[in-house]
Amino acid sequence: MTLLSVQNLTVQVGDAPLVKDVSFEIQKGEWLAIIGQSGSGKSVTASAIGRLLAPNLKAQGKALYNGKDILQFGAKEMRRLRGTSISYIFQDYQGSFTPFHTIGRHFEEFLKAHFKLSKTQRREMAEQALVSVGLQPEMYTRYPFQLSGGQLQRSSIALALLTKPDLVIADEPTAALDSISAFKVLRLLADLQQETGCAMLFITHDLRHVRKHADQIIVMKEGAVVEKGDKQSVLDQPQHAYTRSLMTASPSLSAASQLLKGDDTSCVYCN
Amino acid sequence: MIRIITRRLAEVVVFLLLITFVSFLFARMAPGDPVLSILRVDDLSVSAEQVEQLREDMGFNEPLLVQYGEWLVDFARLDFGNSYISNQPVMEMLWNGVPATLELTLGGLFVMVLIALPLGSLAALYRGSWIDQVSRGLSLLGAAVPSFWLGLILIDLLGVRLGWLPTMGRDGLHSAVLPSITLGLAISSVYVRLLRSSLIDSLNQENIRAARARGISEPRIFFSHVLRASLPPVITVFGVSLGSLIGGVVVIEVIFAYPGIGKMVVDAIRGRDYPMIQGYIFVMAILVFVINSIVDLSYRYLNPELRLKGKGRV
Amino acid sequence: MTSRLTINRTRATKVFLSAFLILIAAIAVYAFLILKHDPSFVDLNERLLPMSWQHPFGTDHLGRDMLTRILLGFQLTVGYGFLALLLAVAIGVPIGVIAGFKGGLVDRLLMRVADAFLAFPDTVVAIVLSGLLGAGIENLLLAIILVKWVNYARLARSTVVTERQKDYITMAKINGLSEWRIMWKHLFPHLIGHILVLASLDLGKIILLISSLSYIGLGAQPPAPEWGVMLNEARPYFQTVPALMIYPGLAIVTVVLFSNLFGDYLRDKFDVKKEVAE
Repeated sequence: MTLLSVQNLTVQVGDAPLVKDVSFEIQKGEWLAIIGQSGSGKSVTASAIGRLLAPNLKAQGKALYNGKDILQFGAKEMRRLRGTSISYIFQDYQGSFTPFHTIGRHFEEFLKAHFKLSKTQRREMAEQALVSVGLQPEMYTRYPFQLSGGQLQRSSIALALLTKPDLVIADEPTAALDSISAFKVLRLLADLQQETGCAMLFITHDLRHVRKHADQIIVMKEGAVVEKGDKQSVLDQPQHAYTRSLMTASPSLSAASQLLKGDDTSCVYCN
Repeated sequence: MIRIITRRLAEVVVFLLLITFVSFLFARMAPGDPVLSILRVDDLSVSAEQVEQLREDMGFNEPLLVQYGEWLVDFARLDFGNSYISNQPVMEMLWNGVPATLELTLGGLFVMVLIALPLGSLAALYRGSWIDQVSRGLSLLGAAVPSFWLGLILIDLLGVRLGWLPTMGRDGLHSAVLPSITLGLAISSVYVRLLRSSLIDSLNQENIRAARARGISEPRIFFSHVLRASLPPVITVFGVSLGSLIGGVVVIEVIFAYPGIGKMVVDAIRGRDYPMIQGYIFVMAILVFVINSIVDLSYRYLNPELRLKGKGRV
Repeated sequence: MTSRLTINRTRATKVFLSAFLILIAAIAVYAFLILKHDPSFVDLNERLLPMSWQHPFGTDHLGRDMLTRILLGFQLTVGYGFLALLLAVAIGVPIGVIAGFKGGLVDRLLMRVADAFLAFPDTVVAIVLSGLLGAGIENLLLAIILVKWVNYARLARSTVVTERQKDYITMAKINGLSEWRIMWKHLFPHLIGHILVLASLDLGKIILLISSLSYIGLGAQPPAPEWGVMLNEARPYFQTVPALMIYPGLAIVTVVLFSNLFGDYLRDKFDVKKEVAE
């Protein structure tokens, strides 16, 4: 069965639509990338699924998770899903943590909210999770301001994947990191996704991420989906003009090398 | 941290010395003969010789600097002399009055929190709703109503007409209720608005959305994340508005005839009882110093970044 | 998100506040023109009268016309408050501007002095000063000025310092304009805005302070028709003739409320964050 089926999602602030009639599907274990510029509505779409929109935004449509429309869920049901079945990783790693709580306390709070475990068990789980993302267990007692961006983002990943969720929604998780950390974090995320078999809804504006990891691609522009399909077809035969211009703006190494060789069968520059 | 406190202490001491010297000067040079004030209390008819004798005894005839020197020595021993009015040691009187003042202050603060916390929180959580409007209206009104007027009305309504609560003096916990309510009502307006805006800021922060995304319950988010994050501005304002609080306590004490140091100093001012005034200044300086230090400490407690500045990144 | 309702509300507020402001100013200045009774005329035959055409607010315990006294109270309570505020601003702002401009030693020295004044809570200083110098309205005003100027100095200084660092100043300097001239043209509007906001909010506090301390005998003295004094005089009659206490109290509430609303309105208009104003 389809893991998540978004149908005719529309998000408005007042009368102005931010997201217009968006529909797509994610299968179990699939990596779906949403590409678009700033303001294309990709983050709003992501937030809408988890019902994390700002109070002045109104969402309409359906989001069927395992067949049930979570947009209609009550607060309690939604809370149970969040963090355990559907997790988020945000771009703002500093903002994902509360400054006066230790990293460990974030784990504590999360585990207490969802499970009945003893204090020792919670600590063990937390430390294991930290190790699994390549961090020292001592991070448990540190405050967010004491960690670097990369370390914070890893901690976010640890929290997000702690309970092996079905769906991880990552909203530009590496956009604010320096290139080395970004590379490492992305690789970590990809590895964990393979290991746990979770589905990934990956939002980005960077085509390189898409080329390497995505199974399916959605292109958004001004709140609407302009192109949808599996990676190969979208990348190689973009239907929409906008997609094509995106490709042009971010040529791949392979295309460049082919050009140099004089072989223009997969000319990314040509219209 | 110790450095901050020591520097604070030094500032207070310098200021104390300055103020006491100034007040000392005024006391000696002000209109009205202090000797006559003392004698006036006893309601005796005195001869010129007796006045001169008392002047001599109290050392008022010696040069100013000598007087100040002697006074400084006494000051170092915390001996402020006796009150002109009651002829009792000033320090003793003040010491006896401190518990009463503390009762009122703490009572007032308690009432303030009781009012401001729910009103401010609800106004922030249900921004734009009728609760928000009402709380804004109430706090606007509250800020405009003079505390002494309010106190008098409450005395009349609850104390005299309905006879529910005592209105004068200090007779057990009951008599602290009306004054505390008056004080609490008077100071709460500012904090309602402040808390509301501080909470709104905190609620809009990213870490709240992140916590929600992890499935943490709303009440928990509010008390554990939002409320605590909203405290620093409130504490700042509290530190700054200390003056109004103390002033408010003084006025309340006078209205309700509550025997705290506020009432003492007002009586002292009316009766030109300079030793008492000086003693009061001293006690106030200590109090202000202590409260400011507590405020500083609470910042450090609330913000781990300040606390752990040494440790840096791992 | 300005709906039609919001726009109307803003205009209504503007109109209302301006009208009230003009009214108060008019009363304060021209009170003596509309007075029909001598405020200090004591006529014990006429004491404690209820409302009537002759005496719209009745008379007090000494037979004096209440309405007259309330109106005159405007001049005293509000007038005094205004005066104290004006002087505090007149002293504080230049000092703050100088400190912000000169920087360095002058700045540090002036700010240290300011901090020393701030080390003590304002109401305590007011009480103590009036205590040392004797009870009386002049001493109270002096105390208020001594305490309040610091806020304006700091505000002025921080405005100068902030604006100075902004890019447009650097640009103007590059273009050869003298710094003084730049500051004057650009700084002034900012400064006035901030000061007006702070002043309106302060006016209410000062009025409350004056009336409170006058009530307990440390400010204006009877028979002055100052509202705090009037409340004190009315105290024994509270049970029998509550009107005596209600009118002055309401007067205070009205003026302070208005002053606060005005300050809020100004603050929204200038978009000043509360932290800057404090």
